[in-house]
Amino acid sequence: MNIDIAATTVSLLTLFGIYAIVALSLNLQYGLGGIPNFGIALFVSIGAYTAGVTYTRLMPLLAGKDALNPCGATNMAQALALRTEILKTMPAAALGNFALTLVIAAVLGGLIGLLASFPALRLKEEWFLGLVLLVAAETARIFVRGFEPIICAHNGLSGIAPPLGWLPTAQVRQYAFLALILVILAVVYIYAERLARSPYGRVLKALRENNAVASGLGKPMARVRGQVMIIGSALAAIAGVLFVMNVGFASANDYAVPLTLDIWVMVVLGGLGNMRGALLGALIVTVLDRFTSIAAIQLNMLGLDLEFNYVRYILFGVILLLMLRYRPQGLLPEPIRTTKAGSAMAAIQARQQGNGQDVAGSEIGT
Amino acid sequence: MPAGLFIDSVVNSIVVGSLYALMAVGLTLTMAVMKLPNFAHAEYIAVGAYAALILSLSFAGNPVLVMVAAFIVAAVVALISNYLVFAPLTRRKSSMYILILASFAVGLIIRYLLFLVADTFDLFDKRIQVANEVVLQWGPLTLTNIFLWVVPISISLVILLSLLLNLTSLGRQMRAMADNATLAKVVGVPTKRVTNAAWILAGGLAGVGGALWGIYTFVDPMVGWLAILSVFAAVVLGGLTSFPGTIMGAYVVAFAENTLMQGLNHWFGLEFSFKPAVPFVIIIVVLLIRPQGLSGLFDRWRSPETMER
Repeated sequence: MNIDIAATTVSLLTLFGIYAIVALSLNLQYGLGGIPNFGIALFVSIGAYTAGVTYTRLMPLLAGKDALNPCGATNMAQALALRTEILKTMPAAALGNFALTLVIAAVLGGLIGLLASFPALRLKEEWFLGLVLLVAAETARIFVRGFEPIICAHNGLSGIAPPLGWLPTAQVRQYAFLALILVILAVVYIYAERLARSPYGRVLKALRENNAVASGLGKPMARVRGQVMIIGSALAAIAGVLFVMNVGFASANDYAVPLTLDIWVMVVLGGLGNMRGALLGALIVTVLDRFTSIAAIQLNMLGLDLEFNYVRYILFGVILLLMLRYRPQGLLPEPIRTTKAGSAMAAIQARQQGNGQDVAGSEIGT
Repeated sequence: MPAGLFIDSVVNSIVVGSLYALMAVGLTLTMAVMKLPNFAHAEYIAVGAYAALILSLSFAGNPVLVMVAAFIVAAVVALISNYLVFAPLTRRKSSMYILILASFAVGLIIRYLLFLVADTFDLFDKRIQVANEVVLQWGPLTLTNIFLWVVPISISLVILLSLLLNLTSLGRQMRAMADNATLAKVVGVPTKRVTNAAWILAGGLAGVGGALWGIYTFVDPMVGWLAILSVFAAVVLGGLTSFPGTIMGAYVVAFAENTLMQGLNHWFGLEFSFKPAVPFVIIIVVLLIRPQGLSGLFDRWRSPETMER
């Protein structure tokens, strides 16, 4: 029973930061916008695949070396050595590549999000969009698994480490990567929170609650939903870049339905439409995940031969069902926000009712 | 393409199509009566397969008994999942997305319970043993007794279900609920009993489908999950709530996955690793271009008299 507390905490927080970004993106799309994105894995995977491509093509270019084909048996090892070498010795190329990867991933994710928002307008029933996104994610996974140029098909691509290989020790590298992730998370969180409080956020909520009324009031449903798909997907793709760097290995099978479900559990657990809820949900799920795996190892060492990976999924399913049944608003429900105009109107009404006057103006508020 | 490969793939398509039809009619029933796109349907298939496997391994029982057991166990699991999860959520008027998410969660729980069972008793990748013998050899056409097991059972069960829906009062009540649940309740349809019957039928047929699948290929906790999106493709292609449409859809999906895939492989060199994407492409294309699926075609065939009903 010997657990390195500091190392566990750091890796836990790293994972939390990455998941929290994805959870925030889903909370923008579903919590605020009401778009049932059952294909989050697709948008996360776009980031991972982008990193796979840039690490093998763009980074050698930035470092002024020849890119090698990373897949074939002939120079797979050299290509891997080249990646590791650049990460270790050339901070500028590594960081430049990282920045460009984030930008490209965000743009690609946004584009595919935009593409995915078109069906939303055409589909007869709203849940079709969920099914289409789910299936699109699986299609993309199968395509990438069979198509070599992206991440070497089903073999996957190793050596996609954080762009911090030039730092002296493994510990420093870990802390630096964590700091990087937490900074990105903070920016994303502040952005999402501001978006939720803005007039734009209110339009999203209005469309979510009753799109007929909101469209009737002149809110452009198609455009707004398209925009929120772009924003959310770009954020998910950025998280995907960080995700694949944390794992260090790009494999299409990591981005399947279980990942999507994990993110949904986080958002439903934390509270739909509440950004702090998404953070809380991500924290609970990652902690729970880590503790079940530690418990599993401990119990297996005690000779209890039970595959705890299975128990973990059962546990997540039960948590999700209990939440949906008994507390569908989540641990932190969506805050009721009143605008300045709204509270002024309420004050006027209260005054008028207090005076006992029947004023025509009071009808506005009802 | 070589005649042998072609004929093999056609035979394969017929078997798989019959199985998909059997699994998909239950899903169509759920969609029509309960208005629920139930992803946990996958696990009723897997549960049926495991019930059949365990019975056949422990008693080497006769096949009819095995099928009945698969039906009963899967039906019970479907009823329980409705009683514990879907009925309370529907009573709360949860949104469609919440119901879909709940069905994912139910599926996850059942699947990994099956994994635990399979892990404990070492039941991965097992086949339900039926002696494999060739019953017909005619040129490149080879039919085994497994073909004669799977296809007639599936087709007759699907026919039985349509007879039940069209000729019995229970079937009439189900169709009434599918049309308008509130109205059905008002005119005195015992909605609770009808819903339970629909769950039993949906789960049970999926279970038998799983058992037959286990005879045809193998049993694994993932069988349901691997088949469910093809089954969904069949249902979507059939127009979601149309039974003839679903059956047609099942065969179309099976032919696309086997015969068409074989052809694409032969002529365009498309690798078989892309085969799982076939039903996905069907779902996306149908939902985007023709959301009513094949069902509109059948409406045109109907006589004007039935159209008015």
